Amino acid sequence: MGSARAPQILDPENMSLPFLDSACFAHLYCLRQMATESHSYHLPRWLQIAVVGRRPKFTLVRIAILIALVFLMRAYVLLPIKIHGPSMLPTYQENGINFVNRLAYLHSDPQRGDVVAIRYSGEHIMLMKRIVGLPGETIAFHKGRIFINGNELPEPYLKFPCDWEIPPRTLDADHYYVVGDNRSMPEKLHMKGETSRERIVGKILLCKNLFASSSSSSR
Amino acid sequence: MQKSFRVILLIVAIIILGFFAWHWLFPNPEEVIRARLKKLAETASFEPKDGTIRRALKASSVPEFFTTNVEIVVDVPGGRTQALSGRAEIQRAATGAVQELRGLKTEFLDINVKLGSDKQTAVANLTGKFTPQGDYDFIVQEMNFMLRKVDGKWLIYRIETVKTLSFAPGKNIATQFLADSSALHPLVQRRPLTKRF
Repeated sequence: MGSARAPQILDPENMSLPFLDSACFAHLYCLRQMATESHSYHLPRWLQIAVVGRRPKFTLVRIAILIALVFLMRAYVLLPIKIHGPSMLPTYQENGINFVNRLAYLHSDPQRGDVVAIRYSGEHIMLMKRIVGLPGETIAFHKGRIFINGNELPEPYLKFPCDWEIPPRTLDADHYYVVGDNRSMPEKLHMKGETSRERIVGKILLCKNLFASSSSSSR
Repeated sequence: MQKSFRVILLIVAIIILGFFAWHWLFPNPEEVIRARLKKLAETASFEPKDGTIRRALKASSVPEFFTTNVEIVVDVPGGRTQALSGRAEIQRAATGAVQELRGLKTEFLDINVKLGSDKQTAVANLTGKFTPQGDYDFIVQEMNFMLRKVDGKWLIYRIETVKTLSFAPGKNIATQFLADSSALHPLVQRRPLTKRF
């Protein structure tokens, strides 16, 4: 009898066997219900398509290509950055997101007014500054205004006045003078000065940050 | 066909494993120096939850990374130039820091190591990031660490800050060191601090 029951557990439809008593039948019915419910755990077709697509192998290949593209973009084209510090206020708010365009100076030199990223020993942390002096020029600060080769530089982006006094200095070849837009702090506390061309990683892509926090704008 | 594929796969796996094993067993000096500097950063970091004994132990371990005649010159914008020399002064500074600060996270990022021609000296150009516990702001400073191999250990004998803006190649002591590492020690002792950058 035992040997006869075993296959019927998997096929409870076959109820014509005369030796099945009512208790056994109930047991088999429960098992069948459980088996039916376990089949219903499969994802619906539309969800499967949404998650892995119609052809999962191709989806996998697409994901791999996408990841490779993101890495290549980050390494050679656009470097995402998060802004920390008030040096470029009010042009760039703190905690905002922006991008460094690495290809900006591939075929041209940096220009006056460009906001650039300058590396330290690497690109984990960089300085974000505006170029105000070009190679070979003489730059000076008088009453907070910049003078290039003796002529005052118009700076419409400047919102915080200052009274900095810096004597004239002539820039070396291939060197640029950079300074932040926020000059409300004492001159000695503001990082500014000469940087070599090879330290300039690229040009800041967006004129305004993405996701800039409103609280930081008051700083 | 399938068997030959398996053999090729096995050979590739052995080569990759061998490569990593070789690097693990015989690391090149640049890797050793990077690991040493990361260890120094860990030792120079402490948290508020660290007890007095642990802090004291960390402070006492810091000088082990330096030679006995070490010299540290710090010249940051807005501050006056400060110099420390000898292990004892470093020990005092480290003890003072662990007593004064609630916590400090030290990180050395983007470590570029250049070996001298004699392979016994090296310069590590790096970005130091120092975050005091509880502060949103952090201090960033580019630095040059000069190291020498003493009894098989890479020890720091000089640290100098780099002026990232106003950096002039050729005027920096580390640049001169790389040009002629044999002339290092007289050069380090003779040059006045004010003309370093």
